[in-house]
Amino acid sequence: MKKFLLDYGLKVRLPILLFVVIITFAVTYYVSYAERNNIGYQPEQPIKFSHKVHAGDMKIDCKYCHISADKTRNASIPTVSVCMGCHTLARKDMPEIQKLTEYYDQNKPLLWNRIHRVPDFVYFNHSVHVNKGIDCANCHGDVQNMEVIGQVKNLNMGACLDCHRNAHAKLPNLPNINNGPDYCSTCHR
Amino acid sequence: MQAGGPMDKKIDITNLVPQENNEQKSEQKEINYWRSFRELHNDPDFLKEKNNEFKEGVTDDFEVSKLSVLSRRKFLALLSASAALAATGCSDYKEKGSIVPYNKKPEEIIVGLPNFYASTCTSCNNACGILVKTREGRPIKIDGNPDHPVSKGKICAKGQASILNLYDPGRLKDPVYSSDRQNHRNIPWGEVDDKIIAELKTNAGSGKEIAIVTHRVISPSYKKLLDEFIAAYPTTKVYSYELFDEGTKNSAWTKTYGRKTYPVVKLENAKVILALESDFLTYEGNAVENMRLFAMNRDVMNGREFNRLYVVEGAATSTGFTADYRMRLRTDAIEEFVLSLLNEFLVKRRISSFASDVRISGVVQSFQLEKFAKKYNLDGKALNALVEDLIKNQGNSIVLAGNKLPESTHIAVNLLNDVLGNTKLYSADSEEIELQPLSQRNDIETLIGSMNAGNVGMVIHAGTNPVYHIAHDYGYTDAVKKVPTVITIADMLNESSEVSQYVLPLSHILESWGDYRTRTNFYSLQQPMIAPLYRSRQKEAMLLTWLRGNKEAFNENLYHEYVMQNWEKNIFPVLNSKLDFKKFWNASLHDGVAYINEKPAPPSTFIPDAFAGLSSRMTASEEYIVLLEEGNLGDGRFANNGWLQELPHPVSKIVWDNYAAVSVQTAADLGVNNNDNIEVLFGERHLTLPVFVQPGLADKVVEIQLGYGRTKAGDVGSNVGFNANVLLTKHVTLSSRFFNNAKVSKVTGTHELVTTQENHAIDESPLLKDIQFKRGIIVESTYNEFKKNPALVKGEKEKVDIESVNREHKYTSFKWGMSIDLNKCTGCSACVIACNVENNIPVVGKEQVKKGREMTWLRIDRYYHGTPDTPQANFQPMLCQHCDFAPCENVCPVAATTHSADGLNIMAYNRCVGTRYCSNNCPYKVRRFNYFNFRDHFNDAYYDKESVNLMYNPEVTVRSRGVMEKCTFCVQRVMDERQHAIEQNRNVEGANVTTACQDACPSYAIVFGNINDKESEVYKHRENAIGYLVLEEIKTAPNVTYFAKLRNTEEKA
Repeated sequence: MKKFLLDYGLKVRLPILLFVVIITFAVTYYVSYAERNNIGYQPEQPIKFSHKVHAGDMKIDCKYCHISADKTRNASIPTVSVCMGCHTLARKDMPEIQKLTEYYDQNKPLLWNRIHRVPDFVYFNHSVHVNKGIDCANCHGDVQNMEVIGQVKNLNMGACLDCHRNAHAKLPNLPNINNGPDYCSTCHR
Repeated sequence: MQAGGPMDKKIDITNLVPQENNEQKSEQKEINYWRSFRELHNDPDFLKEKNNEFKEGVTDDFEVSKLSVLSRRKFLALLSASAALAATGCSDYKEKGSIVPYNKKPEEIIVGLPNFYASTCTSCNNACGILVKTREGRPIKIDGNPDHPVSKGKICAKGQASILNLYDPGRLKDPVYSSDRQNHRNIPWGEVDDKIIAELKTNAGSGKEIAIVTHRVISPSYKKLLDEFIAAYPTTKVYSYELFDEGTKNSAWTKTYGRKTYPVVKLENAKVILALESDFLTYEGNAVENMRLFAMNRDVMNGREFNRLYVVEGAATSTGFTADYRMRLRTDAIEEFVLSLLNEFLVKRRISSFASDVRISGVVQSFQLEKFAKKYNLDGKALNALVEDLIKNQGNSIVLAGNKLPESTHIAVNLLNDVLGNTKLYSADSEEIELQPLSQRNDIETLIGSMNAGNVGMVIHAGTNPVYHIAHDYGYTDAVKKVPTVITIADMLNESSEVSQYVLPLSHILESWGDYRTRTNFYSLQQPMIAPLYRSRQKEAMLLTWLRGNKEAFNENLYHEYVMQNWEKNIFPVLNSKLDFKKFWNASLHDGVAYINEKPAPPSTFIPDAFAGLSSRMTASEEYIVLLEEGNLGDGRFANNGWLQELPHPVSKIVWDNYAAVSVQTAADLGVNNNDNIEVLFGERHLTLPVFVQPGLADKVVEIQLGYGRTKAGDVGSNVGFNANVLLTKHVTLSSRFFNNAKVSKVTGTHELVTTQENHAIDESPLLKDIQFKRGIIVESTYNEFKKNPALVKGEKEKVDIESVNREHKYTSFKWGMSIDLNKCTGCSACVIACNVENNIPVVGKEQVKKGREMTWLRIDRYYHGTPDTPQANFQPMLCQHCDFAPCENVCPVAATTHSADGLNIMAYNRCVGTRYCSNNCPYKVRRFNYFNFRDHFNDAYYDKESVNLMYNPEVTVRSRGVMEKCTFCVQRVMDERQHAIEQNRNVEGANVTTACQDACPSYAIVFGNINDKESEVYKHRENAIGYLVLEEIKTAPNVTYFAKLRNTEEKA
């Protein structure tokens, strides 16, 4: 009787249990992959700014607003005054623009929800990548067609190294590019 | 690493007193280096500690009660609860916070790029030019301004550290008032101004004195403001004082040459320097300039002949230990020494026209050098060399007398320089400027008399702390309490604020405007980098508001405009500038300096009567000598600066304390040991403090640093050390900080001193006993040997060919390396503080230093050799050597420390799990472990406040508990250069990268760059015959090259 129970446990119950656990784990792992890496994160912003309109339809260069993308490690979010450069005149009738003007006039800080974020111990440098001719879309996706900005690519260390170690394959339009450095102090210091 | 504090073990002092044949013994022995008596005498405990790699106790358990309130069990429970919560609520993305751009961005700011502004550091009277690095409007680092003609891009440790004072959480934020001078409460500025203006008017009207007590006036606009203040309120009198003045030096100069201030000395032209009790390379005079000029002739790369430095001193200073020949001598015998030298030159050798002046030769002829040397047991060989050198180098040598020496000694030294024709080295192009003389003793006595008589209506302490500084026998504290209105302008509550009704917050130098003039030919300008963090104002703006008699007069730009108008009206017209004023002003602010064509008056001739007619001269007594020295805290104004408190004293390496340094013999005479209390007594004045047995000190000399023992200096600085200001007196016989009539005795009690000198001892197993002395950590030779054959300097080293366990790296493009010239290093420690600021290094506190947990990435090792009485010392900056075959790398179980393709040994903090294997395996002991989150742990999280966060360098991670860290060769600066190179489409230039320590080093001892570039300076240093690598034989292949120390002595030491 005892032996039967042990047999039953080892031969039937245990495999089922393991099967369920493994399957659950695997399914959860794959299903949550995007979310774990923040892919698809697309929160509502305080002002409904459309990259599609600005970068897509009107073809404004990314660096017109993200001015320090080729100068420092921070790409920087445009200041309210940069928006107002056009919007003091353009589309003053739109409610979102009126909201923006209010921020400007009252000198109120505009809190954009952050989309792309690497941990604090990562010193990612925009300038180096932009000046090497790497297109923004390689990491940020097809921003020109995004009505609401969101994250579409994985930004974890594996993703960085993937490019740094296989630059030619990953960036076919840059034939002269070398592999990026892959030692720790490239990003961590 | 620890051992419960190196100094709580007793040394048997009697064993240390040199035996008669000690000298012979030491000649036979191999040269040995030691850092403490315990090491010299092979104290078994010390050997055991070294053997144990770290001091006992470094791994002591944490006090659980001091850790976070969460127990492990609670933590795990919380963890699982939160995991469960996360699992149920997993349909949401993680919040990533927000990004807040500027609303309207200031034009000059590009987020992520630093801006630099030139200004002037007025933490002391040297008024060095500074270049302040700011990020997004926050000053984060102070360096020297390369355009400044005196400091030339360098600044001392205090100047470097003064940035912490700006962000000090204990700063006074609002004006406070208390009618009973006890419980101050906040009060609005408008009310302050109204009340004070009313009182000023009343006092001026009723004829009561208004006293302004200030430090030395070095600003022309401030001087003008004070003059106008006196005009507006005619009963005003201005008093100025300094704790570290050059009173005797300047008054002697006036008497001997009829000019006001001691001249600027062209040290770079001096072939022979004799320093008498003068710490001119660390704390005295303009040490930053002195170090630069001195080191110019200590450079094997520039082909200039080495200078030769003789030091005769009673104290034990880093200048003394830098010297080629150091002679220890009771300080009060120095005048006799100078007179003996004069006799030698004037009477015996008939040098100079003064030889025939009977009045002078009459004074000196009774002083015989040989007799003197015998009496004080001076080294005959060194003395002969000195005499011959001074004769040989007439006109190219200089005798420097320390500020503590009395006027009569200075007069004799001036004569000595004149006799030797050394007046040629007094600069004819530049001279010191004194805008307003300091108050003399009778001025202060008059003030106190008037206070006691009730004739003083108001006292304004304009950035001063006289209650702490002024000699207690003046009775200032009691007198000032009788003054109806006392105003203290200070950055923090201090001793003087306790006798004041009003305490007004003073802005930091980085929040202030100003112009300064210390030498002819230029002005140095000060501009703010940041708006005042709190409701503070600069003292000039306060005085100006009160001067205008209307609180509405104040605005942020008040003093700015005042300075500008003063320049436009009074200074600009005489400059003959071709620019219009606005342009000129902006250009000058940009440069930090404005030049003016000036010629000092032609040199005057020596007045023989000043020497011959002296009524009294200093004679040596048999009593105890007390020397009050400057230390890391200045006159106490840096007491609340944790970095400076924790900076080891250059010689004793003691932190967080001052102490009475005495020689071995004196300690034996007194029957005391390290940490035992002694009492220093002059009649009524007395001070009890612990003893530190300092090798090299003259017998019966007690050396004490000032600036400690403040009772009200903020949370960090209060009650640290002992207030030696109580020994100051108004009855000055020799000089204000030097006495030769002290009574010293042992008293009960001890106080534990903590020194870093035994921390991080280098490994030694009993089997290898004594091998450390031959390990060549320090290579020392003489300049003559070097000239004969540089290749022989290093001597023959055993070549051990061992197979490395590491993989060999190929450095194809560039490889970073450093060289450190031990001939130039004076141990001043500016590099240590610069590293702290650049790399966000925390303050850990005395208790933690005692356990060997100090965090400084760069330390300066000080190795003594010779006997305890007449040791020599070497200073060696020690930092991560970035070994090609780094022993730390292959023991890390998680690959947190690895090697980069450009030759850096790197730490990835986020990988580190804190096993400390790497530190265990590092032969140089340069790795530092965060036993705590020290920001949170130190002094109830004093430095974990919002204001301090503003100071951190945003390019460097702020490390937390449980991580190993160490010198990175300023990898953030390397990466910065890489970014610029890519941006400008060029190759990385090694010369464009400088490390923080290199930028700070006043004597240019540190060079950094690309070793693979054969043209680079660092490559040439590395290839130099006297360059050596520390512990080369264990094949770590370090990338820091040291230059062998060359003493410019006649024979091998």
